[in-house]
Amino acid sequence: MKKHKVLIANRGEIAIRILRACQDLGQDFVCVYTREDAQSEHCTEALKHGGEDSLYRISSYQDPNEIFAVADHSQATAVHPGYGFFAEDFRFARRVVQRSRKLEFIGPSWKIIQDLGDKINTKRLARQLNVPTIPGSDRPIFDDLEAEEVARSLFNFQIEQGIEQPVILVKASAGGGGMGIEEVNDPDRFRNVLRKVKNYARRQFRDEGVLIEQRIFDFNHLEVQILADSHGNVVHFGTRNCTVQSTGRQKRIEVAPGFDPSAVSYAFDAGKVLNDVIEYSVHMAQNVGYNSIGTWEWIVSPTGKPFLMEVNTRIQVENGVSAIIARIEDMEVDLIREQIRIGLGEKMDFDQGSIKFEGVGIEYRILAEDPGNAFTPWVGRIEKFSWPEHPWLRMHTHIPRDRVYDIPTEFDPNLALGIVWGKNLKEAQKRGLTFLNQLTLQGRNNMGENLKSNISYLKEKTDSLLVF
Amino acid sequence: MDKVRIVRHPQRVCLKDILENVYDNYTEIGGQGEYSIDPSMIIARAYITRNVGKKTYKQPVMVIGQEKGHGEEFRNGGSVKPWGNAKALEYMKVAETENIPIHSYIFTPGSYPVEDYPGAAQQIARNIYAMAGIKVPVVAVISEGGSGGAEAIGLADTRIMLSHGYYSVISPEGAAAIEGRSSASRKASGKLVENCARQLKITARDNLEMGYVDRIVQEPPLGARPDHFEFYRKLRQEVILATDEIILSIRGVKLFRAIALRKLNNPKIYVRWSLSTKSKERLVWRRYQKYRGLSRWAFEDSSTGFQRFKNFALETGWSIYSFLRYEFFGRHQRAITHLAEDVQGEVHALMDRVTHRFSSLFKKLPGVKKDREDVCQLTTLSTWEAGMSWNEHCRYVSPQANQDKTLTCPNSRKSNCLDLWAPDLFGDFAGVCSHCGHHFPMEYEWYLFNIFDSRSIREFNAPIEASNPLEFDGLTHKLDKAKKQTGHKSACMTFEAKIKGIQVVVAMLLARFRGGSVGAAEGEKFIRAAEQARRKHMPFLAYVHGTAGIRIQEGTNGLLQMPRCTLSVRRYLESGGLYLVVYDTNSYAGPLASFLGCSPYQFAIRSANIGFAGPGVIRETTGLDIPPNYHKSFQALSRGHIQGIWDRREIRNNLHHALMTMGGEFLYYR
Repeated sequence: MKKHKVLIANRGEIAIRILRACQDLGQDFVCVYTREDAQSEHCTEALKHGGEDSLYRISSYQDPNEIFAVADHSQATAVHPGYGFFAEDFRFARRVVQRSRKLEFIGPSWKIIQDLGDKINTKRLARQLNVPTIPGSDRPIFDDLEAEEVARSLFNFQIEQGIEQPVILVKASAGGGGMGIEEVNDPDRFRNVLRKVKNYARRQFRDEGVLIEQRIFDFNHLEVQILADSHGNVVHFGTRNCTVQSTGRQKRIEVAPGFDPSAVSYAFDAGKVLNDVIEYSVHMAQNVGYNSIGTWEWIVSPTGKPFLMEVNTRIQVENGVSAIIARIEDMEVDLIREQIRIGLGEKMDFDQGSIKFEGVGIEYRILAEDPGNAFTPWVGRIEKFSWPEHPWLRMHTHIPRDRVYDIPTEFDPNLALGIVWGKNLKEAQKRGLTFLNQLTLQGRNNMGENLKSNISYLKEKTDSLLVF
Repeated sequence: MDKVRIVRHPQRVCLKDILENVYDNYTEIGGQGEYSIDPSMIIARAYITRNVGKKTYKQPVMVIGQEKGHGEEFRNGGSVKPWGNAKALEYMKVAETENIPIHSYIFTPGSYPVEDYPGAAQQIARNIYAMAGIKVPVVAVISEGGSGGAEAIGLADTRIMLSHGYYSVISPEGAAAIEGRSSASRKASGKLVENCARQLKITARDNLEMGYVDRIVQEPPLGARPDHFEFYRKLRQEVILATDEIILSIRGVKLFRAIALRKLNNPKIYVRWSLSTKSKERLVWRRYQKYRGLSRWAFEDSSTGFQRFKNFALETGWSIYSFLRYEFFGRHQRAITHLAEDVQGEVHALMDRVTHRFSSLFKKLPGVKKDREDVCQLTTLSTWEAGMSWNEHCRYVSPQANQDKTLTCPNSRKSNCLDLWAPDLFGDFAGVCSHCGHHFPMEYEWYLFNIFDSRSIREFNAPIEASNPLEFDGLTHKLDKAKKQTGHKSACMTFEAKIKGIQVVVAMLLARFRGGSVGAAEGEKFIRAAEQARRKHMPFLAYVHGTAGIRIQEGTNGLLQMPRCTLSVRRYLESGGLYLVVYDTNSYAGPLASFLGCSPYQFAIRSANIGFAGPGVIRETTGLDIPPNYHKSFQALSRGHIQGIWDRREIRNNLHHALMTMGGEFLYYR
């Protein structure tokens, strides 16, 4: 493997994990940080393992120009975007490989990021391959009459499916992140809502197109972890269930595998659903020529129907929970390591047959927030943070344990990821509770109030994991 | 240059002197001395008394003209402000109502280039547009005819020039300033000014030779002064003669009087100066033809005889076709469809009642269940025609996008825009800052590929070539360079194209060809495009990628394009066409103050600067420093010049939308 220097264009725990993976592969690395992040452990780690020259201060993680300035100055040859920031920005990925001093982009090729980053395009790609998607339109609709026709037939469709109170969603096709979405439960009100969404979309996105989709209630959120290389090999690392989410649709607990028919009873054939979504995802990855790590997100309706929601063309926070239940030649897998190897042009040195799955993994996201009060983030100083080590526990955090730490307000509020493993769901749940009980997280804000964390919320949710 | 000095001498005759001495009596309208909305514009109702035989006739005229005064400061040297031109327009319309001729006297070095409402460019455009169709005879007398100020009241049926006057696209100093690229601090040398004055061919004799004035009135050797009464008599005779001639040339019963006038030059023949409806139409048509015929020698047409013949045949064919299609067939068709609609409505009403009764019975029949669920394709792939014939393969990549560099948005300090990478900015964002919406300049090719349907552009009249009619020093060389650089033969590209399936005729002014300046060739192409649009019944789009004004090196040949193009645009509009103007980058001066500014539908891309004169010229001519965003499109919008501002990324959709909505029922292309 050629010697590379990987620029880690991210922060926090993922920067640390990438850094470790680089070391593991014998590659050089260079880290960046901003002023608010100076106390983060990823800076400490970078200095410890790479020396003075491996850490650069920049003013923003969001400015590509600064990232490239660091890359050129440090003579980096590859960029790892982590998650968030530039991970799914095809312009950034394109610029990495098209600028005059070209670098390797550790992630899918930019064309794929662009294609799968577009909700509508993904939906159309899926339908081309007969992969199930959420019933509704698969292209922006501009014409009012056409929209009404679609809405009417979508109501009828749901009634035919036996849904008693059908609801449809009208979305601005150019929108994202929950903006410009309205629901309609009464066909007569549709026209009103359509006008509203169209007006909003025109003002906000300069594009009047709308999507009309069925609203699915009480669904489970499943993910399929895919890994593909540039030589046409595609494998999967099973499924995850990410149904435990905060009110803002932020994941709090992830469990692998997605369902556990041996421990929980389902109203549908859960094993078949898991196989189906895996098969669909692999099929699609093969067809689009996917060439990195990626996640196919599915929603499963209470009747056991899966619908493809979107594709995340990046490493995800919860990759560790899939890794912890996977074995290649009896060795635990590091997906970030595999991503870097593939991103630097290497061929996959295993196939689907050599990947074995064992036991159940649970990932807890530990945050300073108040679950009782709409998950409001808590801001202040962490004074004590510790946990006992266990062979079944993997802990990922950028919070220093040897000194106090002020939580920066600028970024994603994740503090730590605790991943536990058990040989079955019951054992994993038990170990999860043990872990949460033994965890110490104390702090104070400048008003003298005690730190609020979501630990008790996580404990409470542990019992009902994987139950539909 | 001596002529210019004579013309500007404080002792030269001014309009007041002429009113006193040429006309028999007058009333100044709307102002006395400095108590006037604009003392540099005088309007007067005057009359000329004529004794013919035993009878005395009083013949009223509307006199409109700039007043320089004899060194009076408040007259502003005859430089008329926009509201002065507005007043002139108002009284031209009055004259039209009263059916009396207009005599206009042009004593102006140019218009005062401020954009305060109604705006210099806008108002001049309105004036020219109105004069293009005014239904009374107009006689213009030119003493000092500078640029747009002159054209604002100078679109006349007969133009008389005083022998010591000058008539030019720009004052010699202005030309020298542009030629020598001098700034306010460094004045152009006297020699250069002299040279420019000579080369621009601004004298009465030159203009007569080129055909831009019809007659010259001889002045005393050092120019007319207030006490040269012989000169007034001559002038009086000339304006009366000119008015008579115009009237007689379009009147039914003229026979002897016309001959007598011409042969004997006899002022003692009486001609009534009011017109009948028929003659009014003839008057306007004659005016159109007169200007259409001007300056045809001032450009080169390198198309072969065969091509010309082909074009001619095609044009005739299209004329016949559209006559049949729209006049003959179209009218009947409309009647038939209206009838059909009525009948259909009736049938529907009847059928509804009938079917209502049977429908319940009908539904009970087996196998009549309708199978329409698949129409909407809720779970399967639907077909998506994204824009008609939008071909991914002929995408245009701007050369600006092929470089690895970042650009800083000028608003970054204010709105914290991140620097933009050139391939993103020019390749994907259409040259628009994705954060604050600042528009970077884009080259015209981008528009060709991003506004019009792929492979729908058919250029015509490409062989018409910009030339150097005055043999101005260095222009030939500069034109050759521009031709080589752009691959075009003039700054105006005319073509037919489709926007989402709608056929349009487009005239595009290219900023890269000598700043998009308009000369005889560009004017001719513009006119032909308007004619083509009229013939083929298509909407006409003027896409101004940028224009710096009239090409000054062509002198009056360029200036004349203002009235010429406006006349053709007016003809097109009056035959029912839809004329859209879109400004992109810097759009200034002559074209704006005439054939572009007269469109009822003008839109600007956000990057546009719109105005009569650029900031430098304003500083030089008025001494005023203007605020830096004076000409920005937002300002133009608030002044009422343009009707909307478009985002460049949206331009295709907006244009299509505009064509669909403004065409309305009279859609030319339906």
